[in-house]
Amino acid sequence: MDERYTLPIAKITKETEDINTYTFKHNLGAKPGQFIMLTDFEGGEKPFSISVCSETEFSVTIKRIGDFTTRLFKKNVGDLMSFRGAYGSSFFIHKKRVLLVGGGYAVPTFYFLAKTLIENGSEITLINGSRTKSEHVFADKFATLNIRTINTTDDGSFGEKGTSVDIADRLLEEEKFDFVYASGPEMMMKALQPVISDNKYEFLFERYMKCAIGICGNCTMDPLGIRLCVEGPVLPKEKVEQLSEFGKYHRKPSGSRVNF
Amino acid sequence: MNKIKTEFLGAKVSSPLVLPAGVMGMSFSGLNYCVENGIGVVTSKSLTLVERSGHNGPVIAEFEGGFINAMGLCNPGIVEGLAEINEFKQHSDTPVIVSVFATNTEDFIELTNYVNKSQGDFIELNLSCPNVFDEFGIPLAASKDKVAEIVRAVKEISTIPVIAKLSPNVYNISEIALVAEAAGADALCMINTVGPGMLIDKKMVKPILSNRTGGLSGPCIKPIALRLIHEVYSKVNIPIIGTGGVTNGDDAIEMIMAGSTLIGVGTAVYYRGIEVFDKINQEMIKFMDEENYASINDLPKLEKLK
Ligand SMILES: Cc1cc2nc3c(=O)[nH]c(=O)nc-3n(C[C@H](O)[C@H](O)[C@H](O)COP(=O)(O)OP(=O)(O)OC[C@H]3O[C@@H](n4cnc5c(N)ncnc54)[C@H](O)[C@@H]3O)c2cc1C
Ligand SMILES: Cc1cc2nc3c(=O)[nH]c(=O)nc-3n(C[C@H](O)[C@H](O)[C@H](O)COP(=O)(O)O)c2cc1C
Ligand code: FES
Repeated sequence: MDERYTLPIAKITKETEDINTYTFKHNLGAKPGQFIMLTDFEGGEKPFSISVCSETEFSVTIKRIGDFTTRLFKKNVGDLMSFRGAYGSSFFIHKKRVLLVGGGYAVPTFYFLAKTLIENGSEITLINGSRTKSEHVFADKFATLNIRTINTTDDGSFGEKGTSVDIADRLLEEEKFDFVYASGPEMMMKALQPVISDNKYEFLFERYMKCAIGICGNCTMDPLGIRLCVEGPVLPKEKVEQLSEFGKYHRKPSGSRVNF
Repeated sequence: MNKIKTEFLGAKVSSPLVLPAGVMGMSFSGLNYCVENGIGVVTSKSLTLVERSGHNGPVIAEFEGGFINAMGLCNPGIVEGLAEINEFKQHSDTPVIVSVFATNTEDFIELTNYVNKSQGDFIELNLSCPNVFDEFGIPLAASKDKVAEIVRAVKEISTIPVIAKLSPNVYNISEIALVAEAAGADALCMINTVGPGMLIDKKMVKPILSNRTGGLSGPCIKPIALRLIHEVYSKVNIPIIGTGGVTNGDDAIEMIMAGSTLIGVGTAVYYRGIEVFDKINQEMIKFMDEENYASINDLPKLEKLK
């Protein structure tokens, strides 16, 4: 059964002006990279990656963008929300030297990944990038993990100056990594792809999702037809290399194509 | 695999399994993915003249026995939808059914004119969507006059065979099927989703679907589909695409015995993965081997009702 859970919000943590973390007391049993579908039954049910997950609670870290997320930002601790999941593919846990390249609101899911990698003895380097200091997330949380972290902003207002891809490029000239993970805006991942072409990697993608259980076909990716809600959202290099729509277009709720 | 090869309205099909409208049919690649996994015929999402985003989520919810859904006829519109079908046809010679939806005869005629210029092999008239009631009212398939008028108008101009998709949510489905046949329908597809029904979130005291109600699909509707198909098969002389709750080979065989020529497999993609089509193909072959049937076309049908 595709179970649904309706629970009060246990904690709301303000990360930036436009990004909050919502915590629920529930054993989700998720794997890093997976997502939930969240709703308040006021119109709209949306996918969010899991940023923290333990046997007693889990969190999603959410950027305020449109109608649904704006309504969510008005909710308080104790307000009921309903979710189903966790859904989708998860990151491969590589036990050696790994590089995590992240951008914006898609970085927090790396917290869940990093914790799991640490438990498996991986040696982690994280690039945590955003446009500017006020949009930078999870720097404090990652600091508690004692992993090698390079914080960066496009304008240099926090950490190093430059994009996550600039930093990855520089690192890869000097060092070798056994596996690369990327989660961030699609154009960031598109720019990263040539930089890491000699490496094995996995990317976390986003596409418009409705059913999240592989029936409706709204989230299929051309030309493979794979469903991002089932075969994704984490896709391996072999799949990514075949995607003709990667960095070019995605589909709207109607299924109509829009360019990035 | 030769055992399950058959023909449908003059087209050769590699398997009697049909991807029904609204399941995985948003993109050329989604259709192709189902072909790679053993489907014999694919159907597009129901296309309308103008692009539709569909209902807000939640649009689907599971219960023991099946799902309710109210997607709200989301589709990119007839022009883009047919472009996806033409792109599909560049990769595959699998027959395509183009499903179209409208609320009046004029719009169905306009849609047919578009489909005539596409590479679609069949046109299916969705007369039976239960999920846009607030917007459009009672489905057309509930009215004999409307069904007759629309099927006749489309048949007159269509350059490809016409399939009428019927609603189970009427008390006189055989009469409606006869009317569709008399108006020129080349085949029937039945059944669309049942109900509609409703599910409630007990903690928030709200309907789970944002549309409040949604049509039932999945295993729970199979007995209804079997009964209705048998009743209609007893009356008409045109082939039926039997759809509703088919999840395994036994279900598919039952559909044929009830009177179906082809068999739709939709919601089962959730229960058994995208490989479901290959699995059902193999299960049908296994049954035929065990019972000594050389071909799917040799399977017996239930005696017709008097
Ligand atoms: C697998 C996956 C994981 C995601 N993880 C996160 C996350 O951890 N944190 C976060 O802040 N956001 C995440 N998103 C994006 C998030 O779902 C959207 O930001 C959110 O749905 C916006 O809804 P809205 O009503 O506020 O905005 P809208 O105005 O409705 O939409 C703004 C944009 O958000 C995207 N979007 C809207 N609805 C959906 C949907 N149903 N499915 C996919 N994309 C949609 C579209 O690109 C749209 O243009 C994720 C998306 C996917 C597919
Ligand atoms: C998510 C979903 C979307 C559907 N969309 C359409 C549609 O656009 N047009 C249509 O004629 N039927 C639509 N249907 C109905 C199916 O084509 C089919 O008739 C019904 O689901 C019963 O078959 P099943 O139990 O194998 O799914 C949809 C069904 C589902 C589950
Ligand atoms: S969201 Fe429906 S198939 Fe992925």
